[in-house]
Amino acid sequence: MPNAFLVVDDSKLHHQMYNLAFARGTLAGSTVYHATNGREGYTLLAAHPELALVLLDLNMPEMNGLELLARRRTENLHPHIPIVLVTTEGTPEDEARGRAAGAWDYLRKPFQPADIERVVARALERAAPGPT
Amino acid sequence: MAADENAFSELIQDYIVECLPLAEQVGDAFVALERRWKEGDPGDNTLAALAGPLHTVKGNSAMMGIAPAQTVAHALEDICALLTAEPRLRGDEGAALLVSGSGMLIDLVRRAAGGAQPEAAAEFAEQARAFITSAQTGAAASESAGESTERRAGDRRITSRREEAASEPGSVVRVDFRRLDALLEVLGEGMIEQSAVIELYRRLARKVGPSDEVADLDRALLALQKTIKRMEGILMETRLLPASSVFNRFPRLVRDLAHAAKKPVRLVTSGGATPLDKAILDRLGEPLIHLLTNAVVHGIESPEERARAGKPAEATLDLRATSESGRVVIRLSDDGRGLDDASILAKAEALGLEVRASDPEQLRALIFLPGFSTVKEVSSLAGRGVGLDVVATSIRELGGTIEVSSRPGQGVSFTLSLPLTLAILRSLIVEVDRERYAVPLSHVTATVRTEPDTMHQINQKGVALWRGDLIHVADAGELLGTGAPPNGSRRFYVVIGTGARRRGILVDRLIGHQDIVVKSLDPTVGRPEVVSGTTILGDGKVACILDVVRILDQRVPV
Repeated sequence: MPNAFLVVDDSKLHHQMYNLAFARGTLAGSTVYHATNGREGYTLLAAHPELALVLLDLNMPEMNGLELLARRRTENLHPHIPIVLVTTEGTPEDEARGRAAGAWDYLRKPFQPADIERVVARALERAAPGPT
Repeated sequence: MAADENAFSELIQDYIVECLPLAEQVGDAFVALERRWKEGDPGDNTLAALAGPLHTVKGNSAMMGIAPAQTVAHALEDICALLTAEPRLRGDEGAALLVSGSGMLIDLVRRAAGGAQPEAAAEFAEQARAFITSAQTGAAASESAGESTERRAGDRRITSRREEAASEPGSVVRVDFRRLDALLEVLGEGMIEQSAVIELYRRLARKVGPSDEVADLDRALLALQKTIKRMEGILMETRLLPASSVFNRFPRLVRDLAHAAKKPVRLVTSGGATPLDKAILDRLGEPLIHLLTNAVVHGIESPEERARAGKPAEATLDLRATSESGRVVIRLSDDGRGLDDASILAKAEALGLEVRASDPEQLRALIFLPGFSTVKEVSSLAGRGVGLDVVATSIRELGGTIEVSSRPGQGVSFTLSLPLTLAILRSLIVEVDRERYAVPLSHVTATVRTEPDTMHQINQKGVALWRGDLIHVADAGELLGTGAPPNGSRRFYVVIGTGARRRGILVDRLIGHQDIVVKSLDPTVGRPEVVSGTTILGDGKVACILDVVRILDQRVPV
């Protein structure tokens, strides 16, 4: 069964990049949901408990990545779905802040399709032995 | 460049489409900020609102492997962060850096597909670093001197949210403009074929007389006409863009010009939402840049001269667009010294032109003539001659008109009137010596039947009394060089005009109104000067389109 992913980013260009990345190699055939701001992303997250992974941009209008993570924690929404925070900010403080807010992993721009493949593989590995 | 090795390089056009408006938004805002800081307004909200767009450009450039754009965007972010934290640093030096850096960023994004020069970007990053370092050293010094400053300079990120949501409704698609051009072309063919069918229908109806079938055909054709009309309307709408897409480039231009000329100038634009066909907008930038340059360089006085005239040191350029009865009017006014009528008159006399000094409008229209420009006297003419014939020609090629008005000591105002679209022209079809011609309806003021006692001859030139005014009436056959001498067949004259200028053209018959599809002329083919293009009429015959503006421009000796 193909895996489903959610991409939350306000840049249309990034959505196209994710489409390219999710169309190749082991990821071909994946279902990708797109949201252009945190609010939309949160709604899609709530609607799709089957998601294998969420790729979440940090800087966005209408609820940024950290705000989405905070709300998800408060409402304990689908805690089994790993969320990867994607950002251009590279400082260790930023990364720590993201992880503290509940991000499962941290992906730095610029990334390449292979990086997406890697992070997805790790997420699926993590999910496989655990309870569903 | 690196973009070639990048896995996302096929998205380069999408990158430009997304990032160029953002870079331009940032650039415009910096130009505006520079002004506000001069006026003592800290502009906190503007600075904060730019964090989002800058960040997106930086991130996207990084993803595409376009390092120079990433470097410049990053340096701009750093300067913004510093200036956000240190309001006292908001001044000329910082503003100049932001303006030049964002100009570079716009350029880098625009030319991303062609590769960029990393040297300039690195140089700018170096300047930014130097500015930040010296500012921080200064801050440390003043802090140690006991002054309290907010300690946020170390936090590079501006965390406030974007004012503008970048999201759009999902029902928007991007289309290559050439496809819209192709669609218009096909629609044009359809319109020509439609008129052919209607022409045939009329002949058929005359031949067979009234019948149910003829009546049905009549109804069906009417429905078809309506549908094609609607199709045209929708297609035209999809080709429209707001005038602001051109106007937006100008604040930066005026700022740079004013800087270079050492004259404080404020550009005020309005009517940016006024829609215009993209094909026209694309060709409107150049002439407007020409006019703006002229205004700043020549029209506006030095601050000293303005002070002597009791004017505010800062000059105002007012650029506005409005929609007026199916056309778009763009007006550029300055509050400079105005045209020097005496010099224009002297120049006209030197060139052997016949002008009435008492008619300032006629006099000022001369500045659009070729030859009025390139000469030395340019500066004594308040510099108004520079390339204005070029401007007038490009506006005319767009089917537009340009007029100038001037009040000595108070400024000059140029008024451009443009059609909404280039391709389809509402026209009056007339017949002259058994040939048909199209007269653009936008310039037709009236059609008049020639009565024996309304036409007069003054100095062998025809004049007519029209609505209480004497207007010149020329013979169409003579204008077009049809060779056939006027033989009393001219039973109508068409009054054409722009602004206050009117002129009559004698024709044989009025055929009716028709939407015609403009076909451009092969430039290698000779043609009368007063023809601007051709079209194909319902009967398949080619008809010439009269160049009304050129006819009006022909000087009539009095």
